[in-house]
Amino acid sequence: MNLAEIIRQGELVHLKVSRGERRALLQILIRLEPLVEHSQWASPRAYQDPEYEREFQRLVGTDLADSRSADLGQVRVLLESDQRILLSADQAMAWLRALNLLRLALAERLGITTDGWEEQFTAQEHRRPPLATLHLLSWVQEELVEALSGG
Amino acid sequence: MSAINELVVGETRVDKKITERRDRPWQVVVWNDPVTLMSYVVFVFRRLFGYDLTTATRLMLQVHNEGKAVVATEPRERAEVAVAQLHAHGLQATMARD
Repeated sequence: MNLAEIIRQGELVHLKVSRGERRALLQILIRLEPLVEHSQWASPRAYQDPEYEREFQRLVGTDLADSRSADLGQVRVLLESDQRILLSADQAMAWLRALNLLRLALAERLGITTDGWEEQFTAQEHRRPPLATLHLLSWVQEELVEALSGG
Repeated sequence: MSAINELVVGETRVDKKITERRDRPWQVVVWNDPVTLMSYVVFVFRRLFGYDLTTATRLMLQVHNEGKAVVATEPRERAEVAVAQLHAHGLQATMARD
């Protein structure tokens, strides 16, 4: 799959995707979303001290899970709709965070744990799912960052 | 009696120490992971901390090359907010006393 374009339009970012591309992205999200909450990245620690950590988790733990769910939900709703994907800065940030979550969860499933992981895989593996899915998500995230940074 | 007095004195001393330690700033540390895109990390550092491109890029490279970097030094409550925001953006962040 080759996404058409992600461009800045004034204050908005336009993801110009075809119907097929939109469907493919939605399928990726639906398949990966259940992995996110079980990912090792889903419960990050702030403190080494267990008492401080408990207090921190009590204060923000639920918010973090809610924020993840809201970000993924925003992406899903737009992909499911027939509307043009025109993102405000806040929506684009939700997309960036959601893409990052999906990438982290997928990479964990692929057993990626160290830098230089690209060399663990053959060229053929890089071209096929699930690794190609990771590259696609990277591409969308990278283009979104560029579109947001360019304005 | 004297034991209780000593205990009280002891507790007071410890409490004072704790207060002093609480006043010291906390370092917000971001840790490397093999997956998160460098451009995204730079973008998040700029957005959350207001760093210019050069500073954000230097910190991102420090995370990448050395495994971690101190991205902010703040009082405890502000450091917690920063860590929570970094977590919400999918970055691995912890905090420790300066």
